[in-house]
Amino acid sequence: MSNVVIEVEGLRKRFRTRRGTVEAVAGIDFAVRAGEFVGYAGPNGAGKSTTVKMMSGILLPTGGRVEVCGLVPWRERRRLARRMGVVFGQRTQLWWDLPLEESFELVGHLYRIPAAERARRLARLEEVLALGPLLGVPVRSLSLGQRMRAELAAAVLPSPEVLFLDEPTIGLDVEAKVAVRDFLRELNAEEGTTVILTTHDLDDITRLCNRLIVIDHGRLVFDGTIDQLHAAYGSTRMLLVDLADPAATLVPGPGWAGAQVVRAEGHRRWIRFARDQISAADLVALVLAEHQVLDLSIMEPDIEDVIRRIYRGERGR
Amino acid sequence: MAEHLGVYLRLAAASVRATARRPAYLAARTVSAGLIVAIEVAGVLLMLDRFGSIGGWRPAEVVLLFGLAFTAQGLALVFGDTLEADKVSQLVRRGTFDQVLTRPTSPLGWVVASYVDTRFVGRMLAGAATVVWATDRAGVAWTPGRALLAALAVACAAAIIFGVLLVAAGFTFVTVQASEAANVLLYGGQYLASYPMQIYGSALRFVFVWVVPLGLAIYVPALGVLGRQGPPGLPGWLAWLSAPVAAAFLALGGLAWRAGIRHYVGTGS
Repeated sequence: MSNVVIEVEGLRKRFRTRRGTVEAVAGIDFAVRAGEFVGYAGPNGAGKSTTVKMMSGILLPTGGRVEVCGLVPWRERRRLARRMGVVFGQRTQLWWDLPLEESFELVGHLYRIPAAERARRLARLEEVLALGPLLGVPVRSLSLGQRMRAELAAAVLPSPEVLFLDEPTIGLDVEAKVAVRDFLRELNAEEGTTVILTTHDLDDITRLCNRLIVIDHGRLVFDGTIDQLHAAYGSTRMLLVDLADPAATLVPGPGWAGAQVVRAEGHRRWIRFARDQISAADLVALVLAEHQVLDLSIMEPDIEDVIRRIYRGERGR
Repeated sequence: MAEHLGVYLRLAAASVRATARRPAYLAARTVSAGLIVAIEVAGVLLMLDRFGSIGGWRPAEVVLLFGLAFTAQGLALVFGDTLEADKVSQLVRRGTFDQVLTRPTSPLGWVVASYVDTRFVGRMLAGAATVVWATDRAGVAWTPGRALLAALAVACAAAIIFGVLLVAAGFTFVTVQASEAANVLLYGGQYLASYPMQIYGSALRFVFVWVVPLGLAIYVPALGVLGRQGPPGLPGWLAWLSAPVAAAFLALGGLAWRAGIRHYVGTGS
C-alpha cells in the first residue's frame, strides 16, 4: 500500500499531571490514503489536537506507532516539516508586523522554493484566494477572513503532501467560510493534497470531507463516510408535506416501515422515517396515494445530532 | 545549522524590519536602553566617590569592568532576550512554539533569529562608550593585544550569558510544560494567566548572569587591559582561558536547550 500517507497504529498519549496520569489518546488506529479529505471530530478534550500534534511531530507518543509520508514525525520532524503544511486556526504563522508579501517571500526561502516556481505558484494562489490587494498590508491589519486566506496560501505555498487544519473556519463570516471551503476543495481535487481537518463546524465536514473520524475520550468511536455514519447510527430524515385538507389525518399504513407522523400544524405534517427502512420516494408515493398534497420537502438528518449521539455512547439500532 | 544561515539571517532581518516599522518606538527603546547604562555607571561612580578607591582600584578602572559587562550583556541580549523564562513560557502558552516545531529549521535558530531585539543595541553601544571613557580616564595605552583582550572579554562574557540563558530556557520548558499539561486537562486548553514556578530564584540568577561572567570573562582580561597585577597566584594567561570556558557554557546551554525540547516534545519523560 504505497499510497498510504498517514498510518496510525495503537497510538497512545499519556500526560502526567499533579493529579495523576491522564490518557489523552488511548489507542487509536487509522490509515489515510493520498488524496483523502478527512474530517477529524470530537468533543473538547477528546484528544483531537493531541493526535494532530503527534502526527505533526510536536508530541512524542507514549505508545503505538505513527508515520506520516513514511517518516516518524517526532524523529524526523524537520524532514516531515518540508512535506506538510499546518494551519492552527487561532494562531498565525505569518509575520505579524510585516506586509503580507514578505511572509510569502520568507516562506519561499524557508522551504527552499525556487524563485520562479514560487512566483508562479503565488500568482495562482493570489488569484484563487483574492489576495492581490492585500499583499502590501501588514498582517496585523488583515481581517480574520483575509488572514485565514493568507494563512492557507502560506501553508500550501511549498506544495505540501499533507495539510493539517485546525478550525480553519472558526469565527469567519459566511462569505469567508465559502471562500476557504472552495479553496480547500479545489486544492484537494486538483493537487491531490491529503487534508486532515479538525473542526467543530459540522458544516465543514459535510461540505468537504469524504471521510469522518470521530474520537471521544481518546478512543476512535467512528471511522467512515458520512453515509455510513447515518447508516450506523440510524439517523432519521424528515418528510414535510403540506396537505390540501388541513383537517385530514395521516395514518401510517402497513408499508410505512416505521415512519411516524411526529407533528401536525395547519396544512403541514412532519413525518420521521429511517433512511435504511424506507426511501423518501416510496414514502412520498404512499402519502400521495391517499392525500392531495400541495407541497413537500425532505429534511436531511442533522449530522450534529448524530455526532452528539455518538458522544453520548448510543449505539446504532 | 550552517546551511540554514541564509534563512536565519533573513528571519533576523525580518524581525528587525518589523520593529523598524515603528521607528519612534524603536528609537525610544534603544535610547532608553542606553540611558539605563549611563544611569547605572553614574550610580557606580557616585558610590565609589565616597571611597576614592576599592582595593586599589580607581573608579575609572571599576567602571571599565561594568562597561565591558554592559557591552557583553547587550550583545548577548540582542539575540538571547527571547530566551528569558517568561518569554519562553509565553511562546509555549500561546502555542507559538508548537508552530516553531512544524518549521523545517532548528527551533533554536528560529527563536533566536525571529526575536532579535534591537533595543539591546543601545545597551551594547552605551557599554562600549563606557569602556572607551573608562580606559581614557584610567590612562590605558591601547595596544593590539589589549584591544584583543577587551574584545575577547566581551565576546566570552556574552557567550557565557547566552549559555546561561539557554540553560534557563531549557528548564523553563520543563516547568511550563508541567503546568501547561495540567491546564490543558483542567481547563480544556485555555491558557491560564498565572506564571510557572520559577525554578531559579533572582539571587541565583544574579550570581550566574553577573558574578560568574564578570569574574571569569571580564575581571581577568580587564587586568590585562589595565596592565595591572592580579591577586597573587592569578597568572596573566588565565585571561585566554575564558574562551574555552565560554565555549563550555555555550555547549552546556545547547545541551540544556535540547533536553528542554526533548522534554517538551515528550521524549524526556
